[in-house]
Amino acid sequence: MKQVVSVSLGSTTRDHETTVELYHQEIHVSRRGTDGDMERAMVMLRDLDNQVDAIGLGGIDRYLVVNGQRYEILDAKRLAECATITPVVDGSGVKAVWEYRVINHLIEDKIIGPHQKVLLVSALDRFGMAQAFYEQGFPTIAGDLIFSSHIDYPVTSLAELQKLARRLLPEMAKMPFTMLYPTGREQEQQSHDSTYHHYFAEADIVAGDFHFIRHHLPDHLAGKLIITNTTTEEDRRLLKDRGLSILITTTPVLAGRSFGTNVIEAAIVAATGVLPDDERWENTVLGAGLHYSITRLDSSSGIENQGEPTS
Amino acid sequence: MTMLPILEDFARACNSNARLRQMNRDWSRTIVIRTTDKGESYWLRSENGSIRSGEGPVPDVDLQVEGGEEIIRAVFSGEMSPTEPYNAGDLLVKGRQDDLMRLDIITLLIWGE
Repeated sequence: MKQVVSVSLGSTTRDHETTVELYHQEIHVSRRGTDGDMERAMVMLRDLDNQVDAIGLGGIDRYLVVNGQRYEILDAKRLAECATITPVVDGSGVKAVWEYRVINHLIEDKIIGPHQKVLLVSALDRFGMAQAFYEQGFPTIAGDLIFSSHIDYPVTSLAELQKLARRLLPEMAKMPFTMLYPTGREQEQQSHDSTYHHYFAEADIVAGDFHFIRHHLPDHLAGKLIITNTTTEEDRRLLKDRGLSILITTTPVLAGRSFGTNVIEAAIVAATGVLPDDERWENTVLGAGLHYSITRLDSSSGIENQGEPTS
Repeated sequence: MTMLPILEDFARACNSNARLRQMNRDWSRTIVIRTTDKGESYWLRSENGSIRSGEGPVPDVDLQVEGGEEIIRAVFSGEMSPTEPYNAGDLLVKGRQDDLMRLDIITLLIWGE
């Protein structure tokens, strides 16, 4: 059986392992957190090199892809280069191809519609999703500056998001990653600061990185829909307790959790040998049978439905 | 030569940028800028979306930026982004990480691209 390991800067409390099936192959995947310890992650990556079929880089993005322009995060580059034989991927290739389509699938399936207001807590790390919302006419706030830098400046158009990316990302990519994104135990902390709760209150749909969502999560989520991934059973309980109506994960729920895109991307690479910079990548992702998952948290049954796999 | 004109230009650039004025409308901070080689001290004060500059010591400092005059001059005139000297240890910043990040973002929004 092929082996995939996700080395994550996230908390070890979210470690897990299971088997997924992609392209008619069973692939064993395991996630190993390092509690934000870069050195530990580097050692782990060197140890895994040439021992597994593909490595996912979790809790950090190597590439931010905005409008076809790729910005490389320096800290992630350093990590990825610790493995010289086994491919290391960060999930940006799956996000760029898949998340744009997920939003369009959800519209086609009449699960969401452009009359709904969207809060996308972080758009620069999932530009495809942001692009889909803006293009389809959803009133959308991109909250990158708000939630990662505590600058109360909502971005409300695709043009402004692109402009911010061009101005900020070339330099921000060189900053220590810990300045840009919560790592390790920091990911588990919830803020008691309600300064930005009004953005949640005004939104029908909250989308984007789950760590940002959870960190700023308000007490009341009744009637709202969250689109994210990397959620665990515990996260679902938390969201249910806060009254969330519907949770949609862009990647399938397997063994009680939705996988990070880096895990899915590493599994695709392991199964097919096709890398994200290969011209066959888009078709390879679309042929992997990915589907979104829906969980109705406001029903007593907690029934889970899934979107149709792509083919 | 005093660095005050450079900081005045920096403040002017912030104040003439509508996006920055909106971003900084709730950011009230005093930033002290010290040149380690010349021993000079300057300040920037952000209040109600507007930035003022001046020379000499000030009380209640929120963020302290220290470096050689050449680097400070380059950073606040847009010739150099703060990230590079900061990562190299040539620019020392004391204060909250959020404030440091905001100062970076301000410089990038004025001179980025």
